[in-house]
Amino acid sequence: MNFELFETRVLPAKNKLFRFAFRLLGSSEEAKDVVQEVFIKVWNGRDQMSEIENMEAWCMRITKNLSLDRLRSRKHRTTESLDESFNTQHDAMTPYETTEMGESINKINQWISALPEKQRQVIHLRDIEGYSYNEICDILELDMNQVKISLFRARNAVKEKFLKVNAYGL
Amino acid sequence: MDSNQINELLEKYWNCETSLEEEQTLRSYFNGQDIPESLKSTAALFQYFEREKTKSLDTSFDEKFRNRFRDSHKMRTLPLVKIMRIAAGVLVGVAAIFFIRQEVRKSYPPEIAETYSDPKLALEETKRALMMISNSFNKAEQGAEQIKRFNEAETKIQGKDQPESAKKEL
Repeated sequence: MNFELFETRVLPAKNKLFRFAFRLLGSSEEAKDVVQEVFIKVWNGRDQMSEIENMEAWCMRITKNLSLDRLRSRKHRTTESLDESFNTQHDAMTPYETTEMGESINKINQWISALPEKQRQVIHLRDIEGYSYNEICDILELDMNQVKISLFRARNAVKEKFLKVNAYGL
Repeated sequence: MDSNQINELLEKYWNCETSLEEEQTLRSYFNGQDIPESLKSTAALFQYFEREKTKSLDTSFDEKFRNRFRDSHKMRTLPLVKIMRIAAGVLVGVAAIFFIRQEVRKSYPPEIAETYSDPKLALEETKRALMMISNSFNKAEQGAEQIKRFNEAETKIQGKDQPESAKKEL
């Protein structure tokens, strides 16, 4: 792989890699570090990676593995960093958003962050990044059944939370 | 799209039976205007997904990698360019020597060439040349025989002289 291929096939995936690492680690600084590590890893092994068809899925898989390694080493809790400051495009929110929408979004974020790890990964890849089931299988190294079951459980856990909120206003 | 169709799609969504296109339809619908009150809480979920998708790294992040990897790529390719240049130089040199030799050969008549058209005549001439060489060898052999005799006589004389000189020394 030469620099031009790296620029067209790997660099454009940076935001997806960052969001996925952030979903797993709950820290934007650590997520950035992971993306850096992924890029360095891919660049250093570029001679062996020329035959990889879906480079983005491959990078996502490396991101997952590096993030899980970090999680294992420090047993980090993703729910701690909900209020972390981001250098992101959506930081500037209108007062309306910060009150009405911001509240619901924070709640949903809490629910998704509280899901078991595999369910959290699958719902992120499908509902936020829009990956196909096959790509999710490839990224998470799971079979189709496991992916579909995890997604079903994740969506239904969120749905139940909604029902509770609507019924009891929790 | 009316709310009945949306409810049907939502049911499929919760059961993980929607395609990526149908999920995109839901996302577009819930991120639009005029959402019925009954679907407002579900809308927050799809708005959350959309909002999460906007989280991104700033451009300085990949610029750093562009500079770093572009430079290392140049450094890696430089020796190859040098080798190619040297190889091209050697090739030009070899080609030049080859053509010069060709030209030199053309300009000087060859020393060994076909001088006889009749094979019998050529055979006679060859025999004559070989006889001449053979005679010369014979003459040289006779001369060598005389030298050999002289040498033998000399060694005999030296053999007789030696004991006398040894006695003198005592």
